[in-house]
Amino acid sequence: MKLLLDEYSGLDSPFHRWDPRYKIAGLIALVFAFSFIRDLRMVLAMAGATIIIYAISRLPASFLAHRLRYPSIFLVVIMLTLPFLSGSDVVATWGPLAVREEGLLAAILIAARFTCILTIGVVLLGTTPLLTNIKALRALGLPQIMADMALLTFRYLQEIGRHLRGLQTAMRLRGFRNRRLSFKGLRTLAWLSGSLLVYSYERSETIYQAMILRGYGNAPPRREFRGRPHDTYVLIVLIAVTAGFIIGDMMLGHHTAALLK
Amino acid sequence: MHIPDGILPLPVTGAGYAVTAVTTWYSVRRINQQEDPRRDVPKASLLTAAFFVASWIHVPVPPTSIHLVLNGLLGALLGYYAFPAILIGLFFQAVMFGHGGLTTLGINAMIMGLPAIVAHYIFRLRKARGGETQKKTGVFGFLAGVVAMGISVALFVVILLTNLPAEIDVVSEKAAIYALAIAHIPLIFIEGAITALVTTFLRRVRPGVLDGV
Repeated sequence: MKLLLDEYSGLDSPFHRWDPRYKIAGLIALVFAFSFIRDLRMVLAMAGATIIIYAISRLPASFLAHRLRYPSIFLVVIMLTLPFLSGSDVVATWGPLAVREEGLLAAILIAARFTCILTIGVVLLGTTPLLTNIKALRALGLPQIMADMALLTFRYLQEIGRHLRGLQTAMRLRGFRNRRLSFKGLRTLAWLSGSLLVYSYERSETIYQAMILRGYGNAPPRREFRGRPHDTYVLIVLIAVTAGFIIGDMMLGHHTAALLK
Repeated sequence: MHIPDGILPLPVTGAGYAVTAVTTWYSVRRINQQEDPRRDVPKASLLTAAFFVASWIHVPVPPTSIHLVLNGLLGALLGYYAFPAILIGLFFQAVMFGHGGLTTLGINAMIMGLPAIVAHYIFRLRKARGGETQKKTGVFGFLAGVVAMGISVALFVVILLTNLPAEIDVVSEKAAIYALAIAHIPLIFIEGAITALVTTFLRRVRPGVLDGV
């Protein structure tokens, strides 16, 4: 299991130095504006803004390529289906297949929004350690119970993952082969899941006692972040860019076919 | 069954976040009404991590394999912690593996989390009329798994197909909804069977887990 999303959070760039609370607010607003865009001219602007933001973050291009590898399967499915299935205006034929304008535009729009939102997400989560981001969410109003649960869940994911791999190795050594769907196979997999739950449940009891011994719940959370004027200025610039995308798309008509009509 | 970024329009993703915010607020409020709300946090967190890890277990459905969702089981065991647990699990899945997305986190939490709460109430019925037995645990475990997964599939298919930014005609859209729903039927029953088998296993091995957190 690879959990190295924040392996480049130690680099130095304006995004690395930006207060995580402001960064979350600014970049989340931006990705929501991206999901609003429908005009293809604004799609070009969105791609440009995404490239500039990623370049400023100084994260390696290979890191983004690695993060896009799995989700891009979805993109391939969208690009291979929508242009042939959706719409009525045929723009090209390819043997028995007809490429339709509406489907093609929708596929381009979805692929562009998807890639840009994911890239901004990589900047948001790749330039700050994940635990600092959870603390920043707490500072932004995430309930304490949710923040505690997120931190503890993250802390024990790897350990429980290792436990699962150990159990699966033991099952294979005893001759279990997970190849056919059968009641016996399902029962074995259910018992495997049940064993994981029992292990976690029992482990949580000792963890709770250890937490109580260390004073869990008795001290108010420390103030982790101190914003500087510079953080606010950057946020204002980003909010202006966000507003620009929404207003620009509305002024251009907020529809996908604008560029080709 | 996670909707990725880029497909859904802003009003839908915004509505998803609104529903998720209200449900999370209600869940946290119910948790805070307990005598010592923090006592069960480690238990809920480790079970959340265990559910996350259990979703990597693949069930062979030739010629392919599917992974477990277990939102019915999660609702049955975690009660009011289920919705926050699902939200946290989906957040980690989005940031670690790119399953789902940041703008669709709210709508995905709604698709998985609301049925988990329904499953919680269904599974509680096993204690009605004459108390809990092994058979009733299995039956209500199965129902919790099937109903939760069934609602999730219905929400996923309808939200996805009615919000594609393309002019798909009504007949094609209906056909696609039916095809996707039918394709998920084996998954729904496998989830029900696994939920029944896990709950009966837990009742034999460690009944305390079934009493929830």
